[in-house]
Amino acid sequence: MRFLLNSLCFFLLLGCASYPVQNGFESKSDSPQETLNPYFANAEKDYVYKAKIDAFNKSFGGIFIVKKLGPEHHRIAFTTEIGNTIFDFTFEGDDFKVNRILKELDRKILINILKRDFKALIQEQSPVKNHFSLKNDDILQTDILSKKHYFHYTNNQLNKIVRVDRNKEKVDFSFTNIDGQFANEIEIAHHNFKLQLH
Amino acid sequence: MHKILFLIFFISLGAFAQKEMTPTEAAALKAKVKTRADATTTVMSEFTQYKHLDFLSDDIVSQGKLAFKVPNLVKWEYTKPFAYSVLFKDETLFINDDGNKSNMDVGSNKIFKQLNQLITASIRGDMFDDNEFNIKYFKINDSSLVYFLPKDEQFSKFIKAFHLSFNAKGDVTEVKMIEPSDDYTQIKFTDRVVNKNLSDAVFTQ
Repeated sequence: MRFLLNSLCFFLLLGCASYPVQNGFESKSDSPQETLNPYFANAEKDYVYKAKIDAFNKSFGGIFIVKKLGPEHHRIAFTTEIGNTIFDFTFEGDDFKVNRILKELDRKILINILKRDFKALIQEQSPVKNHFSLKNDDILQTDILSKKHYFHYTNNQLNKIVRVDRNKEKVDFSFTNIDGQFANEIEIAHHNFKLQLH
Repeated sequence: MHKILFLIFFISLGAFAQKEMTPTEAAALKAKVKTRADATTTVMSEFTQYKHLDFLSDDIVSQGKLAFKVPNLVKWEYTKPFAYSVLFKDETLFINDDGNKSNMDVGSNKIFKQLNQLITASIRGDMFDDNEFNIKYFKINDSSLVYFLPKDEQFSKFIKAFHLSFNAKGDVTEVKMIEPSDDYTQIKFTDRVVNKNLSDAVFTQ
């Protein structure tokens, strides 16, 4: 009985612990000033990915396009394979503009999800709030659109961003098959749907 | 000043190159396409697609094959840079996305249907539907260019216009779909083979 109580307490403690504590992050005193995400930072490049969205037990594909148009200025579009635009957004500084969205998808809640995800995906730099380490990884904590994001680096290479809300992982952005400043595969995984970019 | 002169030069060149058809010429084109269509049972063609978005440095280019069989079997098979195919059969859209098969597509369904109807209709010769489209006919040397402006308000918010180019024989050589933003998708057909026996196996996913 005592054992049960103990484990119950432990469980509760764990539930309340902050995300870094839960995951065994070790705090580091020296901090870089900014997070760095190089994957959509080249204005010379057209970033074109084949994308697959799995949501609500349905799956649909298309082409995901990102173009950097200037400092803190990106255009993001999603089209069908045959080229029809499904949505087209502009991010410029703190501004966000919907240039175009298919009528069927024109829902505020969905647009907000996409806005949060893509903002985190393309944000090149963001002030570091805390610096942690886990094994060989450096983890930088920052706020993007007022939500905590943890940037995971291995040998200075960004391989994961995790959005955390109330100490729980909400969204994972994984960058794999990395080629210098380019991630060949990106996966954005929500608890309820997934966006894969190849 | 140089710029202004350049612009005027282009406008006058454009006006010279593309001339609106007379009603007689438009009727002759319709008749030619219709005659050609009546004699067509299958079509196979290679295509190259250019997706133009104004903010990109380069068009997104993809390639593939189109197969058509009367009365209304159509398969678009993209091979480069991604494997992806769309089959229209029995009023259903079948998608094979690099091995992942499905028969739904959010958003593009209606567009594909319309485009498919246009391609099918252009091959069969009954595409010039004045109820569905405002139609404008132009000639460029010995080829023809026809603008189809959708009358359906909802649809025109998605696609502002289809431009179809025909060669002197009356074959479709190019389709351009223009979005309200003026971004467009241009599909150019090459190596067209007509009336070669195509088995139904081609039209499976």
